[in-house]
Amino acid sequence: MADETSAAAGTSTETGAGTESNLRTTKPGTKRLFLTVSVLISFLVGAPFLLKSTEIHRSPLPSAAISSLSDHLHSNPPSFPCHFQAIFLSPFKPSDSSLSLSVAERIRAQLSAQSCGNCNFTVSVTVDSGSSCRHEGDAASAACLWECGGGGLVDAIEGRDDQGIDELLLSAVNERTGGCAGRVYSVFVMEGRDERVVIGKHRHAWMVLKDLDDSTSVGSMIGTVFGDYFMRGGVEKGEYIPVGSDGNVVLSFSLLNSNPSDWIYDWDFQRTGEVLLAPVLEALAPVANITMESQVLYHAPKSSISYWDEKLEAYVVNTRDLPFFVNSNEWHLDTSLSASGRSKVLQFVVYVPSASECPLYIRTPEGEISKTNAFISPMWGGVAIWNPHGCSMQSQGIHLVRDVLPPQELEKIIEIFIGQLRILFGLNSNYVEPSPTFKFLASEKGFTNWELDLLYRQHTCFNLLSSLSTLQSLSTLVESLPRMIVMDEIGKQVELSLEAANLAERNISLGINNASALSSIRARALAEDAFFHPSIMSISYSSMEHYFAIYMPFFAPVSLHVLLAAVKEVKRYFAERSKYLAFRASKLKSS
Amino acid sequence: MASDPKGSQLRRILLIFFSLSIILPLSSPSPTMHNNNWAVLVCTSRFWFNYRHMANTLSLYRTVKRLGIPDERIILMLADDMACNARNNYPAQVFNNENHQLNLYGDNVEVDYRGYEVTVENFLRVLTGRHEASVPRSKRLLSDEGSHILLYMTGHGGNEFLKFQDTEELQSHDLADAVKQMKEKNRFKELLIMVDTCQAATLFSQLQSPGVVAIGSSMKGENSYSHHLDPDVGVSVVDRFTFYTLAFFERLDMYSNASLNSLFTSYDPTLLMSTAYYRTDLYERPLNMVPVTNFFGSVMKTIPTDSAYPGFLVAHASEYATISAETETARVVLEDEADHSKTYDQSEKGLQHILDEWLKLLEGKLGVKDPEVLVAYGLGSMVLLLTISTWLSS
Repeated sequence: MADETSAAAGTSTETGAGTESNLRTTKPGTKRLFLTVSVLISFLVGAPFLLKSTEIHRSPLPSAAISSLSDHLHSNPPSFPCHFQAIFLSPFKPSDSSLSLSVAERIRAQLSAQSCGNCNFTVSVTVDSGSSCRHEGDAASAACLWECGGGGLVDAIEGRDDQGIDELLLSAVNERTGGCAGRVYSVFVMEGRDERVVIGKHRHAWMVLKDLDDSTSVGSMIGTVFGDYFMRGGVEKGEYIPVGSDGNVVLSFSLLNSNPSDWIYDWDFQRTGEVLLAPVLEALAPVANITMESQVLYHAPKSSISYWDEKLEAYVVNTRDLPFFVNSNEWHLDTSLSASGRSKVLQFVVYVPSASECPLYIRTPEGEISKTNAFISPMWGGVAIWNPHGCSMQSQGIHLVRDVLPPQELEKIIEIFIGQLRILFGLNSNYVEPSPTFKFLASEKGFTNWELDLLYRQHTCFNLLSSLSTLQSLSTLVESLPRMIVMDEIGKQVELSLEAANLAERNISLGINNASALSSIRARALAEDAFFHPSIMSISYSSMEHYFAIYMPFFAPVSLHVLLAAVKEVKRYFAERSKYLAFRASKLKSS
Repeated sequence: MASDPKGSQLRRILLIFFSLSIILPLSSPSPTMHNNNWAVLVCTSRFWFNYRHMANTLSLYRTVKRLGIPDERIILMLADDMACNARNNYPAQVFNNENHQLNLYGDNVEVDYRGYEVTVENFLRVLTGRHEASVPRSKRLLSDEGSHILLYMTGHGGNEFLKFQDTEELQSHDLADAVKQMKEKNRFKELLIMVDTCQAATLFSQLQSPGVVAIGSSMKGENSYSHHLDPDVGVSVVDRFTFYTLAFFERLDMYSNASLNSLFTSYDPTLLMSTAYYRTDLYERPLNMVPVTNFFGSVMKTIPTDSAYPGFLVAHASEYATISAETETARVVLEDEADHSKTYDQSEKGLQHILDEWLKLLEGKLGVKDPEVLVAYGLGSMVLLLTISTWLSS
């Protein structure tokens, strides 16, 4: 105030003189300037803090790592090192020394069109017949080469049954191919009178051929065993992956009594089924974490029509009616307690028909009666029909029958279910032998070791590609919504998933199939957990408009005032200062 | 010579086209098989005067069940306040026609989301699959890459939105976004969207994902009307679009192969009093080749099993013959392991467990059975200690 009055006085005294109207005698005060500018500066200094405190917490996702791994996997799909060795136990003199090449040729022709899960194979041929020992082709490493000295094998094989030969050859392979025992597929070739080819349940096969001189036919036989069976599992069609995205599968076994007023059947699945199926579940552990449950249902009729066939004296369901067999309204199969949200449930149903349609058979498309009386639906499960004994004669029965499914019948049904499980996982339930001389040994695990290897390869590859594409979609999604909160949990899951995927890839190149399968399941489960995290809902993230709408009503008017005040004050200060300086200059001039 | 550059250009174009045609089939994914059908039926209205929306949804539910889709593959979202409403003259009964021939609420109606659970958030969670871990399987859309999904929505709608329960809206871009995320995760092979609201066609105007076909009961600027009023019940009981849809399906059963095209062209604008608009630009198959049972019915691809896995029992018997005697001991061992794991779990609870143990110890020592009394003693002693120490320090 004092400055103003003095300034006013200054100007009023000077206006009379008329020479300088803009002079003041005292320095202009700085209090107001200091005040307004300090408020403005505090706003400016505090703005970054405000932005930081209201920032959306986004856990950083390793997008670069994801896209680089994804590109890497797409450009060179994971290929598994398989080593095939053919061992001649009888003297063999090839007409031309390129047997390994012709075998490799045949195998290469069997490489499936889909690039996932293929074998990066090497072929070696060894002739180990007592006196001579010759190697040909390329071995994966020196350790995987067959050590000669197995000439006594041919004699040991004489007179044994197939199971015995299988075990004997297994011990021979373990002994003589040292460190590579789990990664090498072998075919033993012998000369003999009865021609046969037997594919064992581990990782080897043996063939007895009449004459070993025609090396092209021998080569093509060996190549068939390696390429068609060991590498591809004898299937042409695409892969089925009936595994839930969290790596769990629930096998749900149900016994359906169609009409309880005719007869009621119970079963002892706990004892028989669990004992029979335990090794299967264990063998499939690297593919999925499988659990089992069972139930008995009543009043569960089928919904398709069956026809009475005079010739067979039985009721027949045509193949064309099979899609309508499963009566989803009455069959309450979906009562699983152990299946969580993302597990896959495979239903295995035993259907006991009522008296009015008993015995019930399925007619195949060829017009024959099905040998198994069962069918499957891919990715859903399978149904097997079991007709109670003597039911055609019991059609007049008034008394109620309560009985237990005989354990032998249950075992036979479980055999059918194992076949169906194999089909559901993409293999054949049984091999249709190309010529009468092929034979396949069955394994108590439901799958032979070489089939399990094939499954591990397929599943590892599928899981890896699927998890990478999920992670890729997630990172694209997160980038497209810049104001969506990304929780720490999601970031951690993505990191762990990438780690597991990298581990799986490393294990693939090392050839450790079941470890890579386990890591790939983990990678897929974590990627799916991250993608389906419940916090990623587009309607619950705060958009830019939302942010403005919250903070504008306060900051806009206040900042306007502060800015205007500061500007006005600075302008006034400099105006007064120039007046004062002019006064000083005039005083200097006058003095 | 003048034609030569043109010729070489033509050759170049042909070469590029040829190479593309080789490359493209290799890069496109192999087509997945259709192996199941799902239905998501949503009624977005509540209150008595919106009776017809619930009747619409229930009628479609009944149709879809009749044609074979089981309850485990139907997600039904209803406000469900009609049947037992105080104003309902026919308690526990819902009709879609004034002749009252069919009670839609009669038997076997499994509602997955009822009442106030029908929200935009839950709807979007169902579509995208982003549920909390505790949500049961029956409330999830568990479709896979071979599923065909029917999405039916009815209620009050407007230009680019659908009103949910009078409190919130579903915008067309939200729906498009959800469908895009579903497609990215391969949660469906094909999707049919049917909307019966006013200005229905605007709801799916922002869709971009392939494999979607959508039909709405009216276009932008048009209203959808109810079919008739039931004087007994006192409100309109069905909408026109749904009424004619049901009339189409009453003639069909599980085995028919009427095409989607016949359904879409069966709507008469004069009878509907609006134009039923459908968009097929995102759908590759021609509509006259798609049977309606591809969406409305149930398809199960079945393959008869040729043979069992022979030799399994023999192999099992030979492998485990010697072990059968050991299974009894094995069972005992397993039980012990189960106990071990239980105690292990308990010790993992850590602090809580330690506190419990300490409490038990004190109880034992002081001979006090009731923990409440023990706690009271403890508090009393604490207060005593406090007063003594303050007195000493003052």
